Amino acid sequence: MADQLDDILRRAAHNRIPRRSFLAAAGLLGGSTALAACSSGGGGASAAPSTGGEATFPPAGDVEKQLFMYNWSDYVNPDNMAAFQAEFGVEKFQYDTFANNEELLAKLQAGATGYDIACPTAEYVPAMVEGGYIQKLNWERIPNQKYINAAFKKQGWDPNDEWQLPKDFGTTGILYRSKLVTEPVTSWQEFFDLAKGKYSGKVVLVDSMGDVFVMPLKMLGKSLNSVEKADLDEARKILLDLAPHVLALDSDTYQDKLASEEAVLCLGWTGPILELRANADTADIKYVVPSEGSLYWLDTWVLIANAPNPNAAYAWLNYVHDPEVQAAETNFTGYGTPNDEAKKFIDAEVLADPAIFPPDDVMSGLEGAVDTSGNEQRIDIWQEFKSAIGG
Amino acid sequence: MSALLTTALVFPAGLWYLALLVAPLLIVVVFSFGTRATNGGYEPGLVLNNYERLLQPQRIEPFFTSLWMAIAGTIGCLLVGLPLAYFIATRAGQRKGLFILLLVIPFWTSFLIRTYAWLIVLGRENLGGFIGELVGDPDFRILGTPAAVLLGLVYGYLPLMVFPLYVTLERMDRTLVEASKDLGAARWATFRQVTLPIALPGLITGSILVFIPMMGEYVIPSILGYGRTFLMGNALVDAFIQTRNWPFGSAMAVGLILVMLVTITIYVWFVNRGRHGRDVSVL
Repeated sequence: MADQLDDILRRAAHNRIPRRSFLAAAGLLGGSTALAACSSGGGGASAAPSTGGEATFPPAGDVEKQLFMYNWSDYVNPDNMAAFQAEFGVEKFQYDTFANNEELLAKLQAGATGYDIACPTAEYVPAMVEGGYIQKLNWERIPNQKYINAAFKKQGWDPNDEWQLPKDFGTTGILYRSKLVTEPVTSWQEFFDLAKGKYSGKVVLVDSMGDVFVMPLKMLGKSLNSVEKADLDEARKILLDLAPHVLALDSDTYQDKLASEEAVLCLGWTGPILELRANADTADIKYVVPSEGSLYWLDTWVLIANAPNPNAAYAWLNYVHDPEVQAAETNFTGYGTPNDEAKKFIDAEVLADPAIFPPDDVMSGLEGAVDTSGNEQRIDIWQEFKSAIGG
Repeated sequence: MSALLTTALVFPAGLWYLALLVAPLLIVVVFSFGTRATNGGYEPGLVLNNYERLLQPQRIEPFFTSLWMAIAGTIGCLLVGLPLAYFIATRAGQRKGLFILLLVIPFWTSFLIRTYAWLIVLGRENLGGFIGELVGDPDFRILGTPAAVLLGLVYGYLPLMVFPLYVTLERMDRTLVEASKDLGAARWATFRQVTLPIALPGLITGSILVFIPMMGEYVIPSILGYGRTFLMGNALVDAFIQTRNWPFGSAMAVGLILVMLVTITIYVWFVNRGRHGRDVSVL
């Protein structure tokens, strides 16, 4: 029993599905916040963030001896960090963690300065721009950005590619235990039918509004970002139809429920795949991006306004997209890279994994998420859905 | 001089109270009349729309779920806590300190870790599966049901009930019980007419201490309840984290505070009713 608890805690604290995992990171990691709290007084002559107008970039200087990064847990390859420190003479590389984008926003909103780099999900970038929390990037200082695939450029969250450098991406899809689910699972419709039918009560959904809405909206052939009343009315029916068959809403330990076979179908993320697959008992785990299309998320590097170590920050941003360095990142995190050149150096096994690098036809069916969390109808449906699951 | 000393001594607590309770509460109330900024957060305003939305049927439901879970949890804590406190206070003898220590020890471990531990204890490989075999239902489970949440609540907050009860019972004059028996009262009558009234202040304190945090509980329903028992705490997290609607979340928080105030007022009135009359009749 103690071993089991160890497993759960270790995973909760170190799993590489840090994204949107609220409980795990909030309770167990509690990333160092001292920096944020203490450093607001030390700025000196700090330039105001450039909001609007033509950006004039400060001249490049010597790389500072330190770098402060604010990121998801376990999201940068420690070998790369060490190599970067050695190459650029950065003596102190501080890596603090947040549990979700909201925590990052809240901290910046509360006036946390002292960080150089952070890693929000792309849909949160506009809020950070509007709040004046980040500064425009000087692309001349990040030549390696030329390796970024055009598909990740000029997206809705940053139409002119001014504010963020893509880091890695992943998808929302269906996880299932192929040993126990013998029927084909290739689409949201099949997921829905199986969830309501044979596998009723063995279905887990991640506790994330934006991701759960993907299923009904894609079944209806709509944009997953739709805020049209008619679309959402239809989506509501589908969700309430599904509600009584759901075992759990769980973003933190859903891989445990899949592993224990308590759940066999799951609407979730790619994060736990590698670990489940590595274990002989759960090697039958499968991940599919449904044929109707799904959501892809993109995590991005941003440069914090008034970053105390801008030169070290630029050095890192360019360094991390060096193809070989980037390949080591991908091998470590298990998330897809937008860096085309890096693919030459990625482990063949990782590169061939359709869960990490979906084939082109699947990629073309993916849609980036827009921040729809302000839509009241969605929120009302979400709460109604949650109440319906229990009752 | 003594007035100055009083001021000096009360000042830290007063400042603490003002800065960390009164001020945040005022901010919450002010926020609850605002609107959500385009990208989430708070924008000043003076609208009632957040409160109107609270009254929608799907918004009201978590209030009621929380209320009955918290009441059931408080009763559960009482049923377990009162005999326990009574035992430690009157029967444990020299081992009193040991029992108190045993009650405190779990607090040395993070609440989250203890809740995760229940996940295993109640899981299908352990207690849940065992009971399932007994009743012959392979799909039987404890986790993800209101019962699991209730168990977690009682487990988590029990010490907050036991300590105040223990303190009042420990100070109880045992000769009163003996006198009651001498005067011919049976065990139950003695308990009802002597012990319980003496324990009442501790009982009220303990009940309020466990009831309030239970109303706002978030972790237990998420982990042990599989997110199926949707309480106010969960609704609050959704409002602040998933939808970043601070004004609506604030309105919800104000609603929660009001529900708690009303419930506690009714409760205290109910328990105290007729108490003065009894005191007089004793005299």
